[in-house]
Amino acid sequence: MTQVKLSGLTKRFDEKSEPAVDRLDIEIESGKLTALLGPSGCGKTTTMKMIAGLLRPTDGDILFDGSSIVGIAPEDRGAVMVFQNYLLFPYMSVADNIGFGLKMRGVSRSEIRTRVRDMLDLVQMPGFEERRPKQLSGGQQQRIALARALIVQPNVLLLDEPLSNLDAHLRDEMRELISGIQTELGITTVFVTHDQEEAVVLADKIALLFEGRLQQFDVPDAFYETPGTVDIAKFFGGTNFIPGRCEDGRITTAIGRFRAPHTAVDRGEAVLSIRPEAVELGGGGGNSVRGRIRSHVYVGRYARFRVMIGEVEIEVITDPGQVKKLSDGDEVSVRFDPDKIWILGPAADGKDGRADSDSARQPAG
Amino acid sequence: MAGAAAKTTLVHRPAWRVTGRWVGITGLLAFLIAPIVPLFIWSISFRWFYPAILPTEYSARAWTEVINPNNDVVGVAWNTALIALVVTAFSILLGVPAGRALGLYEFRGKRLVEWLILAPIIVPGLAVVLGIHVLFIRAGLSNSLPGVILVHLVPTLPYMTLVMSGVFANYDTDFELQARSLGAGRLATQWYVTLPAIFPGVVVGAMFAFIISWSQYVLTLLIGGGQVQTLPLLLFSFVRSDPAIAGALSVVFILPAVLVLLLSSRYLSGDSAAVGGIGNI
Amino acid sequence: MNEKAPANPSRLPSLPRMRLSEKGARRMTIGVLLAPVIVVILLLFMGGLITGFLRSLGYFPLIGLNDFNFDAYLSIFTDNGFIRSFVLTFHIAFTSTVIASILAIASAMLLRPAFRGKRFVQFIFSLNLTIPHLVGAVGVLYLFSGSGLVSRLATGAGLIDAPAEFPALVFDPWAIGIIIQYVWKEIPFIGVIVLAILLSVGEDYESVARSLGANRWQAFRHVTLPLVMPGVVSASVIVFAFTFGAFEIPWLLGATFPKALPVLAFESYTDVDLAARPQAMAMAMVIAFMSSLMILAYMKLSRRYIRS
Repeated sequence: MTQVKLSGLTKRFDEKSEPAVDRLDIEIESGKLTALLGPSGCGKTTTMKMIAGLLRPTDGDILFDGSSIVGIAPEDRGAVMVFQNYLLFPYMSVADNIGFGLKMRGVSRSEIRTRVRDMLDLVQMPGFEERRPKQLSGGQQQRIALARALIVQPNVLLLDEPLSNLDAHLRDEMRELISGIQTELGITTVFVTHDQEEAVVLADKIALLFEGRLQQFDVPDAFYETPGTVDIAKFFGGTNFIPGRCEDGRITTAIGRFRAPHTAVDRGEAVLSIRPEAVELGGGGGNSVRGRIRSHVYVGRYARFRVMIGEVEIEVITDPGQVKKLSDGDEVSVRFDPDKIWILGPAADGKDGRADSDSARQPAG
Repeated sequence: MAGAAAKTTLVHRPAWRVTGRWVGITGLLAFLIAPIVPLFIWSISFRWFYPAILPTEYSARAWTEVINPNNDVVGVAWNTALIALVVTAFSILLGVPAGRALGLYEFRGKRLVEWLILAPIIVPGLAVVLGIHVLFIRAGLSNSLPGVILVHLVPTLPYMTLVMSGVFANYDTDFELQARSLGAGRLATQWYVTLPAIFPGVVVGAMFAFIISWSQYVLTLLIGGGQVQTLPLLLFSFVRSDPAIAGALSVVFILPAVLVLLLSSRYLSGDSAAVGGIGNI
Repeated sequence: MNEKAPANPSRLPSLPRMRLSEKGARRMTIGVLLAPVIVVILLLFMGGLITGFLRSLGYFPLIGLNDFNFDAYLSIFTDNGFIRSFVLTFHIAFTSTVIASILAIASAMLLRPAFRGKRFVQFIFSLNLTIPHLVGAVGVLYLFSGSGLVSRLATGAGLIDAPAEFPALVFDPWAIGIIIQYVWKEIPFIGVIVLAILLSVGEDYESVARSLGANRWQAFRHVTLPLVMPGVVSASVIVFAFTFGAFEIPWLLGATFPKALPVLAFESYTDVDLAARPQAMAMAMVIAFMSSLMILAYMKLSRRYIRS
């Protein structure tokens, strides 16, 4: 098991442009599953390639268990990368593909054969030795690529978008397989993804990157409950933002003053954030304001309302039963549970005060 | 993402490896350019006796003789170009439809047809030109311009056909159907839809057909029987007797090749040029 | 406007209005498109080949020779000069192809990464594709003959004193000059194909191999080479067939004995002694046979290449 530390890691592809990866400091725990998450172009794959030794850092250091490996050739690092498009060698059989790393190390043919069989069992594809990559489905190719990496018993396993090329139903299967194997073998694993759900479900810890910079490195639920900035909250999506000023556990906004004990900033310019499912319609009581229902959709498992509070539109998700009680144009009481409000620092780009919900789902890339 | 877009380059590039690459590239360039260098020097030399590394006297004699309209050279160059142009025109006229059939349709005997078309590209001209000569003598085509043009079609036509078959393999005929359904007639469809789509391929194929004909030696020598003069024959006759003229002729002889390459780079995104079998030129 | 009748039938595209069965019409189209090329190739190429073959068997009805015999073949295969020519020609084709292939792979590897001046280098590289063989041959002659530029440079450097001391690189029995010319011309041909494969495959496969523990050489040997090999082999087949049958380069750069096969065939054909003609035809058939072998190899390889 290996602990991986990135220290001031920087990559510039040419002198003039912005760095693709900018002074990254991350400590990846030994034996854990860590996600590098971010929209396309955020530098996550570049980071992974630097760990694998396939790209040379411009600056900074990568340490495995405390010692720098930047000068070490990729084949000697013990960090194996599985590419997004699997890249099984097309002219080799499945067995030759899986056994490749061992062959390079001069392992005997008979031992390679046994270990290949073990690996095929591990990825639940026994008997596939003589198939050709072309004859396999995407999910099967992914398993073989995984087996090919695992057979060399890497210290660090690097997975580039391991689920993105798979159909939805295969994705769950592969997620379970990766998570199962990782738990069983306890290999320090880093995977790259642009899909926050994937990161949340699979990872022990998530490093969120925007434009080559680390935004937040935390356990998955923290990104939903206590995101560090508006941008982070937007990336995880589906949240209402209402700008205001905060002071002493209260926030004053254009639509009223709310009690909000959980904050990332103590006082001054701030943004109230609350998830649509945490907003209560009807009821009343403390921390509530009057609003008017603008539109609604019935989704089945839940209902989604758009509610105008003064000039501010917010999104509310309720149980589907509310649809029968409320219609468009109705006036309604809107309550923000103080325990579910999270106060953030002001948006970095200084955007205007309009509430901005369901904004942040980034396109796949 | 940035990582995927950026090319993966492996870590560890010691200085000797970088230097080694440059030594390699320089060596390659030197080797490629080397045979052309003495041709240029000879073309402007007046006295260049062994062991002088460069001519002791220079002159424009060879060039003035080559471009002098009273000499044969200009006429022969035109003759060569004329043959190549006619050959190219026939290659386009016949090769484009055939390429369409091969590129768009699957049919019985297709492999046989492909084999038939590939054969003249691979079988050297000399192996068939002796037999063709016998046929042409009987048909009265030997020692004549039409005979030379016909025999030049043997290497150019298959080449054009193969290039066009590649072009049509990536062509979607639904565009034509769409045009027809929008009211375009047969000819209008060919003109406004098909032609623009295949045009780059036709240009590239035509340029190389031109070069193949332009460079032809043994076919012209035998079928032309000395009655049809072209630049390669003329060049050959000066190689031993007058290196200065031969050098100047070589430079003239290269010109279309350079032009074609400059032009075709507009239509080719670089590296697919040779895949059709240009090495036979 | 709503009342208007359905569109005028005459304005409908005429394509779907097929009298013939769909299949028959398609076959017609294909036939019409292909016929001219096939006729030209059958008349000229196959006609020439068959005529040559008949003449090589001594069949010449105009002068009353209606019998077939293998005299021409017997006489050339028992002729030491022909055997020497055949061996020399095979040596030229084989050596040129192997050297050109190896250097082409090396060149393509050199030209693969981005570097300053790459466009220029690539231009020079592909320029060779379009320069006529004859010009290359003249250039090689003026470079490597006894009084050629290299010999002059060697004299200037004090390595030799007279043209006669310069090693025979042209008109030589080993056909070194011819091979140099072919290598010069074919490196770019094979190289451009290899380069195209390298660029389309990308470096990721090699990265995978390195990541899995292959060193630089192993990654080249086990990953890069197998990926480019199909392209190299099919290009080599073409190069071999070409160099086996090309005429003008050995005609210009070859020794007087032994002569390359195409030169020998041409000279026998144009010999004043008409009796040598069937032998010339027989030699042409030998060249055609060798290249047919190459076509078979090419078809087999390209089919496998497409499948994999």
